[in-house]
Amino acid sequence: MLNHHADSIEVLLFGAGLPTAGITTRCYVKSEFIHVDFQQLKVAFSNIKATVGGFDHNQLQLHWQVGTQTYMLMPANTAAEKALHATLPVSSIIGLKSWKTNTKAQSMVWNTIVYGAGLIALLLVLFVWQYDNVMTWVASKISMETEKKIGDSVLKSLKLQGNLLEKGAAVDAVKKVGNQLTQGSRYHYQWFVVQDDAINAFAVPSGIIFVNSGLLKKADSANELAAVLAHEVQHVERRHTLKNMLNSAGVASVVLMVLGDANAVMLVIAQQVSTQYFSRQVEAEADLKGAELLNQKHIDASGMVSFFKKMDAAYKNKDDTPEWLSSHPETLARIKFAEHFVKSHPCKGCAPLTWDKAAILADLNTEEKNGKNKTNKKLED
Amino acid sequence: MSSLNYEIFGNDLPYVQVTLAPSTEAMAEQGAMMYVDQHIVMSAVLGDGSASKFGVIGRFFNAIKRTFTGESMFSSVYTNTGFVPQNIAIAAPSPGQIVPIELEEQGGTIICQKGAYLAGEKGQKLQLAFQKRLRVGFFGGEGFIMQKISGRGTVFIHASGTLKQVALGPNDVLKVDAGCLVGMSSTVRYDIQYAGKLKTGIFGGEGMFYATVSGPGNVWMQSLPISRLSRAIVGSAVAGRSKGSVLGKLYLIGIVLFVIISLFIDK
Repeated sequence: MLNHHADSIEVLLFGAGLPTAGITTRCYVKSEFIHVDFQQLKVAFSNIKATVGGFDHNQLQLHWQVGTQTYMLMPANTAAEKALHATLPVSSIIGLKSWKTNTKAQSMVWNTIVYGAGLIALLLVLFVWQYDNVMTWVASKISMETEKKIGDSVLKSLKLQGNLLEKGAAVDAVKKVGNQLTQGSRYHYQWFVVQDDAINAFAVPSGIIFVNSGLLKKADSANELAAVLAHEVQHVERRHTLKNMLNSAGVASVVLMVLGDANAVMLVIAQQVSTQYFSRQVEAEADLKGAELLNQKHIDASGMVSFFKKMDAAYKNKDDTPEWLSSHPETLARIKFAEHFVKSHPCKGCAPLTWDKAAILADLNTEEKNGKNKTNKKLED
Repeated sequence: MSSLNYEIFGNDLPYVQVTLAPSTEAMAEQGAMMYVDQHIVMSAVLGDGSASKFGVIGRFFNAIKRTFTGESMFSSVYTNTGFVPQNIAIAAPSPGQIVPIELEEQGGTIICQKGAYLAGEKGQKLQLAFQKRLRVGFFGGEGFIMQKISGRGTVFIHASGTLKQVALGPNDVLKVDAGCLVGMSSTVRYDIQYAGKLKTGIFGGEGMFYATVSGPGNVWMQSLPISRLSRAIVGSAVAGRSKGSVLGKLYLIGIVLFVIISLFIDK
C-alpha cells in the first residue's frame, strides 16, 4: 500500500487539529500530486506554495489550503529535504525556485562577510608586516610641492623664535660643507644655524637643515660637521620626516578609533612632530647612507667616529641624555659601525675639509651678545 | 507525559521544586539553586555535560561558545544518591516567570533568547543558535545569538515579566514588539517587518521594526523584557537621586575648582 511506497520521504505535517509541533508521516510524489500517508491526503502541485521557514530561514515549507484551513508539510531532516527538492518539479510549484535562491543568497551573504573579513585581516597583517615599505612608498608619492610647503611652514615658525642665524661666518661654513655634500641633489637645500647650546642638528622636509651652535662649538674639524650634515641630508633625501609625519597620523587615527578622543590625538601628533622622533631604524639608515654619501663625495668619514666618541663622552659626563642622542641608536653601536665603515671604505686621496673655527666662534659669540642685547632692550621697553 | 516531577511556587518571583527519584539527575544553570535535600549531590560539569566528537577540547570549545548565550561555562548537575525521592529547588534569577516546556511536544528543539535556560533534565543540549539573517539580527531585538535547547523531557525557561505561550498554525503570523520574544519552536519563522509608516515608526514608541513570527509552532513572549525593566528602575533611581541636588552639584563644582586652583598655586 501507500505506506510501503519505495520513494517515500519522511515529512512533518502541520495543520488544524494536528499538534503544534506537527506529526511525522511519509509522502511521495507521483504525477503532479504529493501523496501524504497521513489520512491519505492527495495534494495537487498547482495548489502548493513553497516558502522559506524556520529559525535558520532554510527550511522548505510547502503550504496548501483546504477550505479555510491551511496545511503545511516540511521534510523531517536535511536528507529528506534534498530528496523532496529533487523530486519536485521547480517549474510547477509556486515559490520553489525562489526558495532555492533565497537560501543560496543567505549563504552567499555570509560567505561574503567571512571571506571579506578574512581578506581585510590578511591585508592588515600584510600591512603591519610590510609597514616600513608601505610608509616609504606612501612618502614617495608625496609631491615635491607639498614637501616644500611643509618645510616652509616649519621654517616660518622656527624663524619666529628669533634665534635663527641666516648669514655670517658660521652659516657660511655649514653652507660650504653642505653644498659639497648635496651637489646634484633634486632638493634645493637651505642651511641655518640655531643659537642653542644643545648638541643637535635637525632636518625639515624639502631640504632645510638646522645646526645648533652648540654642535659647531663641540666639533673640532669640518669633517665632523660633514658627518653630521651627511646624516641629516639623508633624512631629507630618504623623506624620513615625511614618513614620521605619516606614521604619527596613522598612530593618531588608530588612537582616535580606539579612544574616540580628539584631544589625545592632537597631543600625539604635536608631541611626535615637535620632538622629531625618529625611529632607531631610520637613524641607522641615515648613518649608513650618510657614510656612503661622504664616501661618494670623497670626504673622509672618520669624522663620524670622532664625533660619535665626543657624543658618547658628553653623554657620560652629563646626567641627562643630550637631545640629539635620545632618539638615536646606542652611541657605542654607532661608533662601532662608523669604525667598521671607515676601515672597509678607505678614502683614497681625500683631502681633509677646512674651516676657520676661530671665525665661526667669533661670529657665534657676537650673535649671542646681540641676541642678549635685543632681549635686554625688549625688557627695558 | 512529564518525566520530571515538579511544582512551580510563587508568581512573579518564582522557584521550581523538582522531585528526583533515587539515582536520577537534573541539570540547572549555575547559581540558581535555592535549596536541596540531604541526599542530593551537586557537581559542576563543563558546558551541558554532553560529549563532543573532538573530545575534551571540543567540550571546552562548546563550553566557551555557551558563554556567549548568557550562560556560564559550567552547569550544575544534581544527583539523588539516596533511596527516597529528594527535592531540589531552583529559583528564578530575576522577577518573572518560570515556564516548563516539554521538548517532545515542540519537535525536540526550541530556540530561546539569551539566558532563558534555567534548568532541565540531564542530557538536554544547550547550543548557540546564530541568527543568519542580518536584518533580523540587527533589528529583531534578540541580537545575533540565541539559545538552542534540544533533547527530551522537560526544560524550564525563565524570562522577566509574564510569559505567554501562543500556538501558531501554518501561515499564522504574529507581530511582536522586538525584545518581547522569549522563545519559539524551530519551525517558526522569525523575521522583522518595517513599521510601515514613518510617523508610526518614529512616534509609535515601538521602534521602526516589529518582529514577526509565523507558524507553525509555538512562541513564548514576555510582558516586560529585562532591559525595559532595568531602564525603568535606573530612570527612577536617577530621578530620586537628583531631587534637591542643585546644592550638591555646586558642591561638586566647588571641589573641581579647588583642585584646579590648587594646581596653579603649587606652581
